[in-house]
Amino acid sequence: MTLTVLVAVALAVPVRADDLDNRAREIAKKLQCPVCQTISVADSPSELAAQMRAIIREKLAEGWTEDQIINYFVERYGEGVLLEPPRQGFGLLAWVGPAVVVVFGLAIITAAVRAWVRPRPEAEPALDPGDEDRYAPELERAVKDA
Amino acid sequence: MSEFGRLVLIFALGLAIYNLIAAAGGGRRLSAPLLASARNGLLGVAVLMTGALATLLLALLTHDFSIRYVAENSSLEMPRIFIFTALWGGQAGSLLFWAWMLSVLGALAVWLHFQAEVRLIPWVMAVISGVQVFFLLVLNFLTNPFEKLPVVLPNGRGLNPLLQDPGMLFHPPLLLSGYVSWSIPFAFAMAALITGRLDREWLPVTRAWAMLAWLIQGAGLIVGGWWAYHVLGWGGYWGWDPVENVALLPWLVGTAFIHSLMVQERRGMLKLWNFGLIIAAFNLSIFGTFIVRSGVLTSVHSFAQSSVGPAFFTFLGISVVASVALVLYRLPVLRAQGDFESLLSREAAFLLNNLLLVGIAFATLWGTVFPLLSEAVRGEKLTVGPPFYNQVNGPLLLALVLLMGVGPLLGWRKTGLRVLLRDLLGPALFGLVVIAGLYAAGIRLAEALLGFWAVAFVAGTVFLEFYRAVRIRRRAMAEGVLTALLRVIGRNRRRYGGYIVHLGILILAVGVIGSNFFKLEREFTVRPGETFSLGRYTLRFEQVGEWTDPGVRNVGAAITLLEPFERELLPYRKFYRNWEQTPASHIEIVTVVPWLEDLYVFLTGWSADGSATVHVFVNPLVPFVWLGAAVALFGGVVAAWPARQARFAPAAVPARGVVAGGD
Repeated sequence: MTLTVLVAVALAVPVRADDLDNRAREIAKKLQCPVCQTISVADSPSELAAQMRAIIREKLAEGWTEDQIINYFVERYGEGVLLEPPRQGFGLLAWVGPAVVVVFGLAIITAAVRAWVRPRPEAEPALDPGDEDRYAPELERAVKDA
Repeated sequence: MSEFGRLVLIFALGLAIYNLIAAAGGGRRLSAPLLASARNGLLGVAVLMTGALATLLLALLTHDFSIRYVAENSSLEMPRIFIFTALWGGQAGSLLFWAWMLSVLGALAVWLHFQAEVRLIPWVMAVISGVQVFFLLVLNFLTNPFEKLPVVLPNGRGLNPLLQDPGMLFHPPLLLSGYVSWSIPFAFAMAALITGRLDREWLPVTRAWAMLAWLIQGAGLIVGGWWAYHVLGWGGYWGWDPVENVALLPWLVGTAFIHSLMVQERRGMLKLWNFGLIIAAFNLSIFGTFIVRSGVLTSVHSFAQSSVGPAFFTFLGISVVASVALVLYRLPVLRAQGDFESLLSREAAFLLNNLLLVGIAFATLWGTVFPLLSEAVRGEKLTVGPPFYNQVNGPLLLALVLLMGVGPLLGWRKTGLRVLLRDLLGPALFGLVVIAGLYAAGIRLAEALLGFWAVAFVAGTVFLEFYRAVRIRRRAMAEGVLTALLRVIGRNRRRYGGYIVHLGILILAVGVIGSNFFKLEREFTVRPGETFSLGRYTLRFEQVGEWTDPGVRNVGAAITLLEPFERELLPYRKFYRNWEQTPASHIEIVTVVPWLEDLYVFLTGWSADGSATVHVFVNPLVPFVWLGAAVALFGGVVAAWPARQARFAPAAVPARGVVAGGD
């Protein structure tokens, strides 16, 4: 069935089947297969995903844009059909949460270390930069038999 | 058999309650007889639980369909080997396995450390018994694996076909054991908090058990990836699926713990943080079991209908509140002043390592619960799929890999910037040479080149670490390279075992970069005799065929691989009796050695006119994922293997030390 659609497409519109295939796959990658858990329509082995892939190709062949096709699925299945949360409204919270935590954590760590740093009188490294093995003594103790 | 099983579970519950009281009482009053009795009690629970597990296994093997669990999870025609997977294939069985594993590990911990850790052991026993009491309550009253059916059925429903796979023999028990094993280090941490012995005493034993948990859970995760890759048919090994995610959480936090406890060992800092991490690892294990078992994933609303969801939620709440309260109680002692000399120190590197690991864990947790959150708040369930994790965790993982290269070169206390830069120069240039080669070979994708550069750079620093140590050892001891290398590792297994783990992670990263950025994938609908190609592979579809095995109807597509070499392929689908709607799959995976990539052929469907639809993937470098994981686990074993003295430590301390001292 898919093949016939493809053939029809190749004849009807001046678009190469390969190119259409790639565009269809790009769209399918952004949609979640509604009967799976976090597997894209592009990858899912399920029947429904196969049908959705066919629909995407059909719509592309009819000249729909990517946004139109995605909206078409959102209208039918809800926003949950998008494989990643939208970067607006409530979905934005998903993106912002981890960033806030990491930045906040970085700030805490930097502040804590700054507060804890007790500079010794000789601020310059006591180690001789020319010394080839910086922790040679430590290493020597570590690797030799007792 | 059902009555016997139920009786054993009741006895185990009674005994666990007794152990809890005896251990806590013994700990308070420092009563040696009471503690010895609790110890014997814990061994007793292990024996009873082993009996219960054996009874369920026997019921499955003898097809006792009067027991609901047996009828729902096995059938007469099931291959005998998968009877074992039925043992943990259902809810009651998996929880029974959890409780059994806890009883065995608990008994082992108590037996090993009873004499050496006199002060901590009463509370270790009490905490372990407390967790056991919860699981036994659930097993006795909410989801009893020995529940009887009103009638004896002639045959069972059989096991979900997806679970009838060799991977399922190892993946669930390893993952469950991983979850369970975080209980032991947690119990030692709680014991330290309760007794107020907060110095380094609890660390070595906690580290040993945390390493064990890390290894088991790591193995469980990778076997899970192997199973997904070989069974599910979407061409990947890791899908950021909620069930995978929650199993990753304790492992990530545990990894942070294993690193940051070194700061406490060396510098006496981060006590509070270390307690926090191990407490988080345990509670995330309970959270993982809860998420998987409560049905909360399908919808927040199915949670209330699940038999064990509310119980787990309550237990999780109690556990979190109790552990946080204990930490707060000890806060004045734990909040020690840090002692840093420089941001350019290993201490600071470990802090950053912890931030990244915990950050990844948080992002993963956030992404996992976000759909539930959106459903609860907005009434619409949003999806958080792989693209989210790739974009959020990807950069964090890259930073973590880079840190893996810089951190080990930093000395404790402080390192001179010039020395550090000189050490980093060689590996950084090596990385540039590697990606120049890749660029010349035609790889242009910036993200992938950056990833490969990071891997090569870190590999260079790890190599330098080994090279330096081996050179010093050779100079000092006049040994050959290989002998010196082995002795270097043997003399300082924690350090060099850790580097082996890092090497394994780097190899794994190569596989992840390759399969993420260079995967080819296409679906073909083909008629008999038609050829189709993807990448360098050309295949010809011959025909669809059907055959039957006991209890299974198979439909397969005969395909010939024509280029670059000839090979007959037969991807097929398996329709198990009673499970016709969810066919399992046999996927043809050909690992092509010269290019280190997998050709992955999955049969999606077929139609009456004889045509078939196949989904073909070319997955570059996937073999590196398995190889890297194996190397990392090996390194973990090297680093975790108990030191000779520690192994004999329990016998070295006199038994009457139990009552002596204590506070």
